[in-house]
Amino acid sequence: MTVADLNSGQRAIIKDIDFSHPSSNRVVEYGFTPGQELQVLNKSIFNDPLSVSLRGALIAIRKNDARCIEVILANEH
Amino acid sequence: MSIDTVKEKKLLITLVGPPNSGKTTLFNLLSGKKHKTVNYPGATIEYSISSFLEQYGINANLMDSPGIISLIPASPDEKVTIDNLYIHPEFGKPDLIIVTADASQLSRHLLLARQIIDSGFKTIVVLTMNDLLAEKSFSIDDKELSVLLNCEIIKFDPRKSDGINTLIDIIKSNLNGDTKTINKRVRITDDDILCIYREIEVIEKHVLIDLNKDNHEDPRVAKANRELVIAGAGSMIKLPDKLTVNIDKILLHKYWGLFIFIFVMSLMFTSIFWLASPVMGLVDDSIQALGNLVTDTFGNYWYSDLISKGIIGGFGVVLVFLPQILILFFVLGILEDSGYLARGAMIIDRPLSMLGLNGRSFVPMLSGFACAIPAIMAARTIQNKRERYLTIFIIPLMSCSARIPVYGLLLAFLFPGKYFLSGLILSLIYVTGVIISLIVAGIINRYKKTFLKFEDNSSFIMELPVYRVPKITNVIKNTYSNAVQYLQKAGPTIITFSLIIWLLTYFPNNAPDTISKENGNTASISKLIESERISNSYAAQIGKTIEPVMRPLGLDWRVGVSLIATFAAREVFVSSLALMFKVTETDDNMSATLIKEMKNAKISGTNEYLFTTATSAGLIVFFMLALQCISTIAITKKETGGWRIPILQLIIYTGSAYLLAFVTVNGLRFIGIN
Ligand SMILES: Nc1nc2c(ncn2[C@@H]2O[C@H](COP(=O)(O)OP(=O)(O)O)[C@@H](O)[C@H]2O)c(=O)[nH]1
Ligand SMILES: [Mg+2]
Repeated sequence: MTVADLNSGQRAIIKDIDFSHPSSNRVVEYGFTPGQELQVLNKSIFNDPLSVSLRGALIAIRKNDARCIEVILANEH
Repeated sequence: MSIDTVKEKKLLITLVGPPNSGKTTLFNLLSGKKHKTVNYPGATIEYSISSFLEQYGINANLMDSPGIISLIPASPDEKVTIDNLYIHPEFGKPDLIIVTADASQLSRHLLLARQIIDSGFKTIVVLTMNDLLAEKSFSIDDKELSVLLNCEIIKFDPRKSDGINTLIDIIKSNLNGDTKTINKRVRITDDDILCIYREIEVIEKHVLIDLNKDNHEDPRVAKANRELVIAGAGSMIKLPDKLTVNIDKILLHKYWGLFIFIFVMSLMFTSIFWLASPVMGLVDDSIQALGNLVTDTFGNYWYSDLISKGIIGGFGVVLVFLPQILILFFVLGILEDSGYLARGAMIIDRPLSMLGLNGRSFVPMLSGFACAIPAIMAARTIQNKRERYLTIFIIPLMSCSARIPVYGLLLAFLFPGKYFLSGLILSLIYVTGVIISLIVAGIINRYKKTFLKFEDNSSFIMELPVYRVPKITNVIKNTYSNAVQYLQKAGPTIITFSLIIWLLTYFPNNAPDTISKENGNTASISKLIESERISNSYAAQIGKTIEPVMRPLGLDWRVGVSLIATFAAREVFVSSLALMFKVTETDDNMSATLIKEMKNAKISGTNEYLFTTATSAGLIVFFMLALQCISTIAITKKETGGWRIPILQLIIYTGSAYLLAFVTVNGLRFIGIN
């Protein structure tokens, strides 16, 4: 499962980054690193890009770039 | 690039930091400059350099740099930015680096600070946005952070000057002694970044102070507590700004988001006309009064004609539209300061990417409404080369502020006194420009193999800054300096060309002796003399050679000459018309007089009216499309590294402008609108 598969409002924890993806560098630099918790907040029209809350910041990311971020759903509460 | 008193031996201090971390604000504070600060990642696109304000007593150059989030370049352009940091081709190696980091986003912003320190630069870190962190009831233990990073840290709000002396002292003490930095380019891999992030997360736990919990306790207990609290996954500090999240629920709503976006953009365009109309009359009247004053004091000589018509008249007709340009800058400024622009980029990333553009094309396109030149430079923030070139290609189709006087005049001619309608039509013009640009992008994208032959990874990742109530004083200051810049840039060109056109229309000044002085009053006689003088002038002789090209558009040599002059600056069109139709001294204001003259003007040698609904509409279409700006051509050549794109633009845009103007004029005539 990747960030691209999350629904609005869902929380998840980053499991791994797919370093074969061309955007993986960028993604990691923006702070998407394994172990971090994130939440998908909004989706733009056509469901793309997503806005994600991460490390206290809001980051807009295209679905295609989000595909390299593998996550597991966080337990609700 | 602005270069102020750059001397060879001066020390160099470079400001480095992630986008939106306060570099430019700090640069302005230390140097006394007024560079634009914007609540949008990617507002600074060039290195700029200045000396420190004298009062600080630091004899060094200060350099502001474009924001980067890490030392790994993601694109050729970013590589240049980062290479220039190590050693700038003009300014050399930095003696000291000041890294700015947003305290409310410490774990992300320390990444760059850490990389810089590890590369061996002499570094100090300025923590900004402590006020935002305090809103979340946190603070940072800067002493502890300083120990852990092994570098001097100072908390500072660059928007205020409180505590500036401490900062200055730290800078000074770091400049003393051995300033030779031994920076080496280390290869940073993905693993390194993951590693640094892990370290930073540990550091963050040690330095974050929870203001709610730590206040009353023993510092050691507090510190132990910190580590416990922050370790929890749902820690407060990981939560984004609450208000921002709530506003985003509306502004980034899946459907409403796009709707609001379109509404905001259309409101911007319409307000240009609506808000400006009350002020315009005022400006207009005062300029006319000034012109009349000159004629009254100097009498009816060639030099009073030169001053009142050539200079005041030529420049004045353009000045009349300054209020509209100011309002455009003002509205843009408010949007920039609010934090909405990044949202706009996100909302239209998908639609734009279908046309081969990128969400990051949005801000360059939007600034294209002010002026194409900074807009084309702003396209540098687009990493993908194909998308960047495509954005540059279509920017000239955005109706820039230089076209406002032209549209303003023609709309006032077409719909006299109807401000509401003119405002609507003006936004229609803007929107049509955008739609045409998107069509062009779509077409080129389909045949990209022939036009733009590079493939890069296309991506869109952008930080969405916290919303802020725009600081009106700031916006007004920015608007003012934009307006001054506008006048400084356009003014001399307009005046020069007004003079040239005045000369060309005044001389050789063949005194016509065919006019008998028997009938008619003095006013009509001087009018006859004037029209005789113009039709024998040098301008007429030049203009008549291009008249065959103008006739299909229903226009004559006078408009032709004015159109040629627009290549210097589009506004010249209006000033040159004012000269061609000799706006003479009247009680009416200047633009009213010009419009009256335009109404009566006939194509020379015929009985056909020159400015009709059809021909004016044709002119508007022409101005919407034609690439008539030498500076735009030059900057496009520079930014794309060759003549290919600007020449393609020139041929395609100016060619289709002529063609579509022709279709408009004759189409309208065909359906009976003359
Ligand atoms: N609340 C707050 N805002 C700040 C602070 N420092 C800078 N800003 C604002 O942050 C925005 C980005 O600043 P700017 O200097 O353009 O950042 P740059 O991209 O790093 O050059 C501007 O609107 C500043 O007014 C600070 O300490 N606190
Ligand atoms: Mg900046």
